[in-house]
Amino acid sequence: MSRAAASTSSGLGRALVAVYGVFALAATARSLVQLATKAGEAPLAYALSAVAALVYVAATLGLAEVGPNPRRLAWAAVGFELVGVLTVGTLTVLDPELFPDATVWSDYGAGYGWLPLVLPFVGIAWLWHTRARD
Amino acid sequence: MDGPLPLVLLVASLLFAAVVLVYVVLDRTPDWGLLGFAAVIEALTLVLLVVAAVQVGGVDLSGGRLVTLFGYLVAGLVLLPIGFVWSLAERSRGATAVLMVAGLAQAFVVVRVMQVWPS
Repeated sequence: MSRAAASTSSGLGRALVAVYGVFALAATARSLVQLATKAGEAPLAYALSAVAALVYVAATLGLAEVGPNPRRLAWAAVGFELVGVLTVGTLTVLDPELFPDATVWSDYGAGYGWLPLVLPFVGIAWLWHTRARD
Repeated sequence: MDGPLPLVLLVASLLFAAVVLVYVVLDRTPDWGLLGFAAVIEALTLVLLVVAAVQVGGVDLSGGRLVTLFGYLVAGLVLLPIGFVWSLAERSRGATAVLMVAGLAQAFVVVRVMQVWPS
């Protein structure tokens, strides 16, 4: 029996969008402050903060079903988020000097209660759960 | 920051999140009581913003930290209203849980304000 894709912004998804929204707001604000006040100090870390902010904004919009193809946007953002947190987390654990100022993904997001590490898994599970089936 | 206001606000935000959790468990939809609770937190946050603006001249806060402080205070003003708009558009446990996320984020904002403010 085939079934159309379920809404990603309904039920449990509504709370998930809220969590992503908080991260989007926090990461964007943090990135703007960093770039405006001390951009030259740690360019790599701050560029990464800006990328992370864009990823959270994209994931929030995708899961909230904003835009022409929100499911594809959400998959891309959440996938990028998973790769980002695993890559940056591993790099910062191996070489703490690489990013002199902390980013949201440093040490696998330990500074944010490990939520940055957990979120992409929850996001992928939710997108998979709500997918169209045939 | 002088006075018990930040601590009161922190406890109130956590209590709000806990009350919402009870609502989620009992599968109750948000009511006027919950909205009133949030309005009190919102009003206290506005007072905190004004107090910070009045007292900030007397403390040592440099550019970046100053922007951070007021960034958090302004975020504290928008979290609950946005949370309610997003939550009330649907009647489900997940939608009610949105308010819990907003309450916890509010508590986090207050903690960060307390940390950034020089003691």
